[in-house]
Order: sequence, then structure tokens, then C-alpha cells
Amino acid sequence: MMGSVAERRATFHEERRFAALTEPLESTGHLLYRRPDHLEKITDAPQAERLVVDGDRLSLTVAGGPTHVTDLAAQPELRALVDAMRGPLAGDTAALERAFKVAVRGTKAAWRLDLTPIDPRAAKLLIEVRISGSGPTMREVLLVQANGDTQYMSIEP
Amino acid sequence: MKRGHQRAVAWRQAAPVLGALGVAIVLLVGVLSRIEVHTDMLAFLPAGETPAARLVLREAREGSATGLILIGIDGAPVAELARISRSVAGGLTRSGLFAVVAGGQAAISEQDEALLFAHRYLLSPTTSEAAFTVPALHADLERLLGQLRSSAAPLAVRYGLRDPPGAFLAAMGSWIGPSRIRTIDGAWFAPDRDRALLLARTRAGGMDVPGQEAASAAIEHAFATANPGGARLLEAGPAVFARDAARAMRTDVHRIAIVSTLLVILLLWWRFRSPLVIAAIAVPVVSSIAVAALVVQIVFGAVHGVALGFGVTMLGVSVDYPVLMIGHRKSGETAAATRARIGPAFILAVITATLGLTAMVFSGFPGLSQLGVFSAIGLITAAMVTWFVLPPLVVAANLAPVAAGSAAWLGRIEALRRWRLVGLLPVVLAAGWLAARGGPAWEDDLENLSPVPAASRALDAELRGELGAPDVGQLVVVQGEDDQAVLRRQEALIPLLDHLKAEGLIDGADLAARLLPSATTQEARRAALPDPDVLAERLDAARVGLPFRPTAFGAFVAAVRASRSMAPLLPADLSGTPFGARLTPLLFARDAAWQGPIALQGVRNPARLAVALADGGVVTDGVATHREADPGLVGSPAAARNAAIYVDMRAELSHILSGYTARAWRWLGWSGVLVLAALAVGLHAPARVLRVLGSVVAAMLVTVAVLTLLGTRLSLIHLVALQLVAGVGLDYALFFARRQLDAEERARTLRTLVTCNAMTLLTFGMLAACQTPLLRDIGMTVACGAVSAMGFAFLFAGERPATGVPRTGSNERFG
Repeated sequence: MMGSVAERRATFHEERRFAALTEPLESTGHLLYRRPDHLEKITDAPQAERLVVDGDRLSLTVAGGPTHVTDLAAQPELRALVDAMRGPLAGDTAALERAFKVAVRGTKAAWRLDLTPIDPRAAKLLIEVRISGSGPTMREVLLVQANGDTQYMSIEP
Repeated sequence: MKRGHQRAVAWRQAAPVLGALGVAIVLLVGVLSRIEVHTDMLAFLPAGETPAARLVLREAREGSATGLILIGIDGAPVAELARISRSVAGGLTRSGLFAVVAGGQAAISEQDEALLFAHRYLLSPTTSEAAFTVPALHADLERLLGQLRSSAAPLAVRYGLRDPPGAFLAAMGSWIGPSRIRTIDGAWFAPDRDRALLLARTRAGGMDVPGQEAASAAIEHAFATANPGGARLLEAGPAVFARDAARAMRTDVHRIAIVSTLLVILLLWWRFRSPLVIAAIAVPVVSSIAVAALVVQIVFGAVHGVALGFGVTMLGVSVDYPVLMIGHRKSGETAAATRARIGPAFILAVITATLGLTAMVFSGFPGLSQLGVFSAIGLITAAMVTWFVLPPLVVAANLAPVAAGSAAWLGRIEALRRWRLVGLLPVVLAAGWLAARGGPAWEDDLENLSPVPAASRALDAELRGELGAPDVGQLVVVQGEDDQAVLRRQEALIPLLDHLKAEGLIDGADLAARLLPSATTQEARRAALPDPDVLAERLDAARVGLPFRPTAFGAFVAAVRASRSMAPLLPADLSGTPFGARLTPLLFARDAAWQGPIALQGVRNPARLAVALADGGVVTDGVATHREADPGLVGSPAAARNAAIYVDMRAELSHILSGYTARAWRWLGWSGVLVLAALAVGLHAPARVLRVLGSVVAAMLVTVAVLTLLGTRLSLIHLVALQLVAGVGLDYALFFARRQLDAEERARTLRTLVTCNAMTLLTFGMLAACQTPLLRDIGMTVACGAVSAMGFAFLFAGERPATGVPRTGSNERFG
């Protein structure tokens, strides 16, 4: 049902809710995915940011500052987040099932994945990832953190 | 029947020689299997005369930097390199031989992180009263909001809300330090090339040879079991150098021993045509090496590889004695008769050569003393065995040179002496040229004496730069009566170090006080923390206009409250933790004082750094002006700086070395006087003393000139080699200088000395082809010196042939 395209671009709108904040933080930008494991998330507003994942290597540049490179292999909680995004795009159900307990619901035209992390370190921070879409397109991603913070992203092709 | 009888006679003749050789060989093997061989160049150095010199030498030998091993892995795709690196790191950690193995895993352990997080407000350099004012807090909260908007939000939630001023990150930055290292797939990589990097610190000290061998084997094993494929393992560090130098030296010594022995045997075969003669000659040589090694082991507790390698080549000199003895024997002569003919020259040669070497014995320089003792004992043993043991063996086996044959050629060769004034020309030229250029060039850099090949040193510098590891031998040593005093003094130096870094004189400094501030500093930071209720009010004011809930910073306020009653973290609290392992080499007690070496990184210009440090109040010429730290002066920054000494290990070692070298040259002068006295007593006639000594001095002058011409800088190594040249030259000159000999004896002498000279050339010529610079220098010097010694001894020491009727020797006299 997913991942039939070699390269895909999309715009996103994101809304984060934190227990520490009185209001949600919103941002917009675009996504680029290239097979098999290249993922870019470019945030345009309100604060420029560039997040690039290549294989196990994650690099993050915030507001024109220095680029931080992180190795996902050493960071299971971060890796779970990346896998959750990349797995559906790559159509790599096996990769998803390595990292999560996967529950699939709905039809090909309107599907939903409920992912629960397997790695105990990841599970301590991340309760659940819910992804929904239609056909080869991902529409919504919702991350629920253990402390109640959430991150919701809607994707427009 | 007759042949059987002959065989029995031959066996009766041979048995004593072979028996004696057997005993000598058993002795040598026994000694060599018992002695302890050292190969570290530093073991060659003296213990030091001033406290600072001792400190420098001890740091060089056993300081924490000596156990550091830098490892690089390259020659494969990046992912493969990362996999190998992780596997090697795991193997090294499991081996238990290393106190630290770092190569990419989380730079800080969970245990350390918890400790650091709990003590963040006491440890962080950012803690001050200003950091907790409303404007500062407001700026912190704005920054925090930015982080929450970014993909780094999980980190902001984890640390930022509990620590808006960022004390934890600042404290962690001190521990991790800035680094140019890239991390790929959980492994460190060099900044500008595909090379995985690892850093390991052995539990064993750098001078602990078996410990280092075990660590080195563990590294090679870990690499081999990582299925490296085509990847290449690179290693550097003082311990690795010591090991490589030892291996290179062993290879050299083995090769020389085998090849030069073969060459000498071939030469002797050509000269004497008798395996028995060769066996007889081997008796004093083999026993001299055995006795010399044994005596050095007893006197010094170990034998240095250089002394041993040198001792092996000594057979090029000590072999002269049996050759002189057998070469001068007439067939059928009694032992006493041969001894009587060559006795005076032989004895004087041994005495003067040994006197020349005693200078080295008393030079006060352990390495030189060892060489001196080894050489002197070797020469004396060879001479004694030649004098007392060899003649009966030689007579029993009736060994003598092949019939001298016609001596007609002798006259033609000796006629050359008519031109001996021409022979003065090179001597005058050499002396004039050396005088004109202000003497020979002197070696003042210890590095150039190091047995470590230049390529290994270059690799070390490369890996050290890529890893950001401190330079070996660039230290500021801070001392104090306890650990807190050292930490306080280091804190006083931090502004100076920051200034030096800003100036580009250093890339950084690794010091204990940056990791763990003194209790005084921690208490001052604690006193700067606001009352929790006040802090809560200020936070309320600081979040005006920002979307933070009033409850967002409860954990932060609680942490500040806890910190206000927290005891400072002391070095003892860290023992047993990974932090403790990191701190120990930087802060330790030794000799009733605490030491805090500050390791400097990226020192490119030690001279400029020394000036800048001196401007900052750090004593830089430590050896000359070091004072023990005065506990009464603790506290004032100026006093703290006076307790700090900048040590450029390389310069200090060179300084110490050159002092001893100068002394050794003075001793050489004195031993020259002793030799002169011995010659005066032994030779009676001043003219002969002049001719003998003149030919030796001429040979040494020409040798020094030739070496200088080749661009060699003279060091104590050459001094040692020149002593040997003098010894060999005296042999030649004394034998040529014997008076009123018949033509047959003169022919024997010339043949024998040419044999001796050829042997010296063969053995030391081999040495000149060694990898170990030390041995190569000795080989060059002696080979060059032996040739000129032979030439000048023949020209000057021998008598000028009479122009009239050739004398035939009926009236032999000795004097």
C-alpha cells in the first residue's frame, strides 16, 4: 500500500504540544524522500531548520547555526522516530516491524498504522506513533510521548 | 693405519681448541639467556641532578602520556572501517589491559551523566549571580523556546526545562572538550579523511615492557579478530615507539651478528686456511662478549639493547687480539716466544685502549657508562684470554699463518713511507677546514638520536592532530601540598591558557581543574545560587510574554534548592567512576606532593609559547631555576603561577643530554692525557710517542672532518665511536712502531694488521647499513676511522725505510 515512488516531495504543517507550554508551537516546511533511506525535513517558518537523515546518520542545522551530526545507532529513541517516518515511505514493512509492534487498520484508500516501539529505551520516551494515509501517500503523523507531549504533522503532496 | 694415526693426532691437536670454544659458547648462551635487555632510549639517560630535571625525566619515562596509544584504521569503505573500529574497541575493553578505550561510543556514560547533572551548578563555569537575574533568565527561556520549536525538542525537554541556564551542557563541554572528530556509525573518524580513530590508555606504564607487549598483542589480536579484510592498522604513541624501536634494533642486531660473523670467518679463512684457527680466534671473542654482558647486567641491573648491539660489533675490535697473536706466531714457536716478541706492543695497546674507554665509564651518563663498561670489560677479557688461554691452545694445534712466502713486496710497500709528508696533507686540510668553520656541527636535538624512525614520528604527529590528543612532552606542571592546592593553582592559570589559545599558541589544554573545580570555587558558585523562592519569583517575571506555564520549571527550582546545601564534589568522590579514570592521570600524589600536569595540545612553536608563558608568570626554564612550591604562598595568583613550570620535554631532555655530552667530551680529553702518559711510560722515546699518538689523532681528525663534510652532526654516539677508532688506531700504530724488526716480522705485522683492519671494516661497514640511526652512526664513524687509522699508522708510526742497504733483522730489540 505504500512506498511505490523513488522520490517524493511534500509540504507539511506541524503542531507540537508540550506540557510546559500554554499554547501549541506550529511550523511549516517541506519533506523530501529518496529511496532507500534518504529523508530531509526542511522547516521554513517560523524558524529555519534543516534535518537530513542518510542511513544511520542524522544531521541537524538550526537557524543557520552549526550542523550537528548524530549517529542513530547509538540513539534508539531517535532512531525509532526516524524509522517511523522512513518505513512507510520506503514501503519497508520489515524495517517497521523490527522497531515497532505494528497494527494496520482501514482500506487501501484510507489506511492507518499504529506503531508501538519495541526498544525499551525508546518506549520510555515514546508511547505511540499513529500514521494515516491513502494509497501511496502519507497524510498524517502523530507522535505521543511518554510525558504527554504530542507532535502532529499533516502532509500535503 | 697411518691415516688413522694422523686423524688421531689431528684430533688431539684440535680437542683443546674446540673444548675451549665449547666452554666459551656455553658461557655466552647462558649469560644471554639470563640478562634483562632494555631498549627504551630513555633508559639510556641519566636520573637527573636537579629536582626539575628528575621530574622531567620521570614524566618522560612513566608519565600518563607514555601509556597513550593512538590507533588509526584506514584502507576500507567508511561503513566497514566503522564496523572494524567498534569491534576493536570492544575487544580492547574486554581485554582489561586498558584504563581507557575511546573510539565513538557515547562520550559520557550514564553514571557520569547522572553525577554531572546532579552537581551541575557547582561544576559549571557558567554559574554566577548574574546568570540568575531576570534578564538572563528571560534570554534563557527564549532560547529554550527556540529549541522546543526545533527537532532537538526532545533534548530541550530532557535537559532544558530542568536547567534553563545550560549549566549541565557547559560542565559536560569541559569534560568532553572541543573536538574536530567526526562520528560515523558509532565510530570516530578523522576530520579530513576516511580513517577510523581510537584512543587507548594502557593500565601498564609506558616503560613497563612486558605490560606494553601484552597491550600491543591485545590490539593486534582485536584487529585480527575484527575480520579487517584489506584495512590497515596504524598505531602510534610512546609505548608503540619503544616496541617498534626494540623490534628494529633486534632485527638489526641479529642481522649484523650473522652477516658480520660470516664475513669475518670468510676473511679469516682466506688468511689462515684453517677452521681450527678460526675456532681459536673465536674463543676470546665469544668469552669477551659473555663476560662483558654479565658484568654490565650485574653492575647496572640490566643490559641496554644499544650496549648489546654495540658489544656484538665489538668483536670487530677484540678479534684483533687473537689475530695479532696467531698472525705473529712463527710455525713451531713456543707460546712464550710469540708472547715475548709482540708482548710490549700488545700490552700497551690493551692498556691504552682500556684507558681510553674508562672515560666513558665515569661520564655519569648511564648509557655511556654501560657502553664503556661493556667495551672495557670486553677488551680486557679478550686480551686476557688471548694472552693466557690462547697460546697453549695455539701451540697444541700448531696454528700459524700460511707461510709468509717472499717478502719482496714488503720493500715496495714500505717505500711509500718516503712520501709520508704528503700524508700530512689531508690531516692539515682537515684541521684547517674544521678550524675555519668553527669546529664540527653538534647534534643538540634528542629527537635525532631517537631510535624511532622519522616515518613513525610523522604518523604519531598526524594521528595526534586528528584525535586532538595532547602532545607528549608539552606540559605545564603544577604542584601543591594537596589536591585542592593544585586545583586552585590551576584555576589561577585558566585565564592565561585561554589567552594562549586565543593567540593560537596552543589548540587547547587538558587539566584537572577544568574537569573538577576546586572546593573553593564550588563553594563560591554555591554561594551565588539564589534562594528558591526568589528564583521562582524571578522566573515568573522572566516568562512574561513567553508561552511557558507557571509550573514548567519546578524541577529547575528544586535542583537549585538541592545545590544550595550540596557538599562540593571532591576527587575522592570520583574514585572508581569513569570520571575518576579520566581525572587520575591529571591529578595524583607523588613524593609527598600533589602533581597536576597540564597537557598542552597543538604546540607548534615551543619557543614563542615559552615566552608567552613566562610573561604570564610561569617558570619556563625549569631545570635552571626550579624552586619547590612554597606552601606559605598559596592563594595569591602570582604565587600560584610560580608553582607552575613549563616543561618542553624535548628541549629539556636535549638540554640535559647536551650537558652530559659536554662532560663526556671533557672526559675524553682527560682519557687522552692518560693514554699519553701510558704511552710515555711504555714507549720511552718521545719521538715514538709522538708518531704513535700523532697517527691516532690524525685519524680522528680526518674522520671528524669527513663526517662533518657528509653533513653529520656530532653527538655522544660519535664520541663513543671515536673512542673505538682511537682503540683500533692505537693497536695499529703500536704494532707498526715496534723497533728494529726483520723483514719477515714486518711482513707478518703488515699482513696481520691488514687482516684486522679488513675485519673492522666488514663489521662496522655492516653497521652503517642498519635501520637504527644510533648503530648506523657508530658504523659510519668506525669504518671511516679505521681506514684512516690504518693509513696513518702505516705512514707515521712505522719507521721510514733506510735509503741504503735494506736491514735484515738479526738484532731484534723490544721497547
